[in-house]
Amino acid sequence: MANFLLQSWNRIVALFRREKLDRELNAEMESHLAMATEENIRRGMSPEQARRRALLDFGGVQQAREMQRTSRGMPLLDILAQDLRFALRQGVKAPRFTLAAIATLALGIGLQTAVYSVVHAVLIDPYPYRGAMRIVHLHLYDKDPVPFDLALNGPQYEQFRKSPVLDASMAEDRWSMALTGEQLPLQVQADRISPDAFENFFGVPALLGREFVSADGTQVAILSYHFWKSHYTGRADVLGKVLQLDHRDYTILGVLPQRFAWGGSDIYVPLTYSSDPQRIANVYARVRMGVSDQAAERMLDPILHRFARETPGHFPLEFHVHLVHINEIAIGRFRGVLIILFLSVSLLLALACVNVAILLLARGEARQAEMGLRQALGAARMRIMTQLLTESTLLSGLGGVAGVLVALGCIRLVRHYLVAMPSLFPPEAEIALNQPVLIFSLAISILTGILSGLWPALRASRVSLRQSADSGSQHLAGRHGLWRSHSILLTVQVTITVLLLACSGATLRKLEQLIHTSLGYDPHHLIAVNITLSEGDHHNWAERVHYYEEIRQTVAADPGVASAAIAFANLPPSILDSAPVSVPGSAVTGGNVVPARVGRNYFSTLRIPLLSGRTWTEDEIVHAAHLAVINDTMKQLYWPHADPIGQTVALNNGVAHGNVWLLVSPGGDERYQVIGVVGNSPNQGLDEQVAPSVYVPYTMVAFDWFNLTLRTQGDTAGLLHRIREQVHKIDARQAVGDVVTAENMLEGDSLGRERFVTSLFTAFALVGLFFAASGLYCVQSYLVAQRTRELGVRIALGAPRSHIIRLVTQSSFAAVLAGTAIGLALTVALSGIFAAWTTGNARDPVILTAEVLLLFASAALASIIPARLAAMIAPMEALRVE
Amino acid sequence: MVLQTLAAMGEQHGYGIARRIEQVSGNEVLLNQGTIYASLVRLQQRGWIEADWGTSDNNRKAKFYSITKRGRKQLAEDAAYWQRLSAVISRMLAMQQDGRE
Repeated sequence: MANFLLQSWNRIVALFRREKLDRELNAEMESHLAMATEENIRRGMSPEQARRRALLDFGGVQQAREMQRTSRGMPLLDILAQDLRFALRQGVKAPRFTLAAIATLALGIGLQTAVYSVVHAVLIDPYPYRGAMRIVHLHLYDKDPVPFDLALNGPQYEQFRKSPVLDASMAEDRWSMALTGEQLPLQVQADRISPDAFENFFGVPALLGREFVSADGTQVAILSYHFWKSHYTGRADVLGKVLQLDHRDYTILGVLPQRFAWGGSDIYVPLTYSSDPQRIANVYARVRMGVSDQAAERMLDPILHRFARETPGHFPLEFHVHLVHINEIAIGRFRGVLIILFLSVSLLLALACVNVAILLLARGEARQAEMGLRQALGAARMRIMTQLLTESTLLSGLGGVAGVLVALGCIRLVRHYLVAMPSLFPPEAEIALNQPVLIFSLAISILTGILSGLWPALRASRVSLRQSADSGSQHLAGRHGLWRSHSILLTVQVTITVLLLACSGATLRKLEQLIHTSLGYDPHHLIAVNITLSEGDHHNWAERVHYYEEIRQTVAADPGVASAAIAFANLPPSILDSAPVSVPGSAVTGGNVVPARVGRNYFSTLRIPLLSGRTWTEDEIVHAAHLAVINDTMKQLYWPHADPIGQTVALNNGVAHGNVWLLVSPGGDERYQVIGVVGNSPNQGLDEQVAPSVYVPYTMVAFDWFNLTLRTQGDTAGLLHRIREQVHKIDARQAVGDVVTAENMLEGDSLGRERFVTSLFTAFALVGLFFAASGLYCVQSYLVAQRTRELGVRIALGAPRSHIIRLVTQSSFAAVLAGTAIGLALTVALSGIFAAWTTGNARDPVILTAEVLLLFASAALASIIPARLAAMIAPMEALRVE
Repeated sequence: MVLQTLAAMGEQHGYGIARRIEQVSGNEVLLNQGTIYASLVRLQQRGWIEADWGTSDNNRKAKFYSITKRGRKQLAEDAAYWQRLSAVISRMLAMQQDGRE
């Protein structure tokens, strides 16, 4: 041990006294040789012979010196420093190569890190809540594809929460309330949640003040960050203040952090279950750790069926319970896109690695003569390998650092996008460069360096002196083994690029389709304003209808409003639920249709064309006449050859009996006579086929909310304020929601998301194309440089330029062709999988042709410069090369 | 070998050590003389030998190496170990011959 320490110490000391020690060593060796020479002379040799003999006995002076140094100092550190210096010099000497390699890696690693960060933040860990991955909605399914959300009354909830498979649970009643006590009542979304929800269910500490607990009673409120900022301008003195909801006072206890956005509500207040078994609230649960979803469903099913026997009105007829994790709901169909995004960015990283390998390999080959010289001068194989490895690791390290910068930039870009489109990801998701991802990507960058450095290093270190000194012959023949590896790498690159192009093409195609989707209505100057009643207000069907009509007429009289209509539905292309229908006497008698409850001017306000028949009169609406208008899809499906006017349809959507909130018209059954057919407008989102739809008078079932749909004209500034004032005059307690414009909705919800996805994929494809082109360019240039002498001889012997160009491009051309063929085959083979994730079509022949043409064009561009260089070789210069 | 040479001959320079080893081994160990310097620096760093500049017989400046106390101890240990080992090996070889007969 003491030995080892002493030796190590001496070695470290030696590091810092290198020059002195070297001088001493030289002097020592010189005296050694001098003594040997003298002795030889004494033995009768001539002075020259004596010196020669002494040198021979001594062996390689340089090797001996090197061995002594190795034993003396810290050889690894020494070598590393040496190699690093050399690598830096090499990098500066070949700036194009260095920049190309670093940029390639930076793009690959940077994009990978950024996308992985987003996927992590959105898919893997989006929510701040305690045990968020185990928080579930409970969906009840019967035969209908649209599930019921589980809702329980007080006593049922008390039993439910004791279930052994649940860790915690929460009951929630989310509804609009009027923020009163200010000049005009303001409609806010209030979330009444179980009093213990914050401490037992969410577990997210408050940003300011504290959250309510069971002991706080009922008249306390917590603000969401968003509402605190918008309504109270982020003032810290809101704590302890009183706010009024529906004329009742609540004390503000705290403000939630920004990431707490449960339900997107403005205000959270404690929920008090009344003993009334009709009062129900939605229920959420966190499944106990280690309990599978299936096991939890099996345990909960009997309890819920018992509840269903107690209060049959709150449950579907025959159902099973299905747990849906909260982030599944938030991500929805976007999950598939994110997975494809992640796969393509991984492909891109692979592409970057291949590119770096091509670059390093080509360079390793170009430096064969150098390697040969080193070996001749006595460099060990390991020594050459470590040097090459140092170079490539340094390159990839720099690439990794640059990659982190690229990633930070990309994340900033995504954040910027999110500000414009808050609906893209769940509001709780916090997109940030997270550390595990950073470490992962840096590890990948180092690994890339080692892997892509090792291969050329192995090749280069095998070069024999004769081979490299005799380099003329290789230049003539071209080396087939090397060519094979280059061709394989090129083929792989082109294949990956075709796949990326296919992804991008599919999303582009989808975006194009969406943009050109016929909306069937005119979204310009079209807005909707939500008006929600305070609980229990206007609790009589006729009075409620009268109240709604009065608001509509008053608002319609505003000079900024061209026409106004009432609807119990959001503007198209919102997805509307469907309900079973029966159509006696038509070819197809059953199926599902979308029931839409609208008022008289609905079609003229939206400018949906009336194709045949008529729409309702004022009187028919007010008296809830059993008359229906159907859309064109419904006509084509049920009466393809007959006239639907006068036919009967029966809706079975299960609200015929009404409840506390839904007031059913007197004598309501659900049989309607068709009086008109209108044009289609999307009712399942922009990217889905229009579903058959039946429009019925909204008065059939008077909900306790409605959307006032307005076609505006002229100056609309101050319109919302005027509407609020008018409504205030009719009912001083009535709050009015915010304005939603149809154009914003189209952009934000449907087109915006597609545009985001398309621009991402297109960026990837272009970067991929750039990688493939630069790889091709590099291989071509290298080839031309290697064969300069041969090509010069050929030109001197009279080979036409076209022949030369063909000669240098043919093998790369073959590689590009092969890569394209494999890529296309893979695209077609994988398109089934793509289809499961997105609705974009990756097989569209037009798009595929365009992709291939684009690829060929860039391949041609990448080979033109080296090929022209080859064709312009001046024979005399070529022969003088080296 | 270096330690033994130094122990037997006292202070010696690199060339002297190399020649001595060649002579003693009856030229059976024919190393490049240059390799001696790597061994010398190792031994020096372990503290088994020390070095000092001096003047040789024919008035030439040279670095002279001499064995230290630690070096002698180490030499004794190594020699004992080596003798044990070679004794074992010889016995083994003898046994093998017996087996063949």
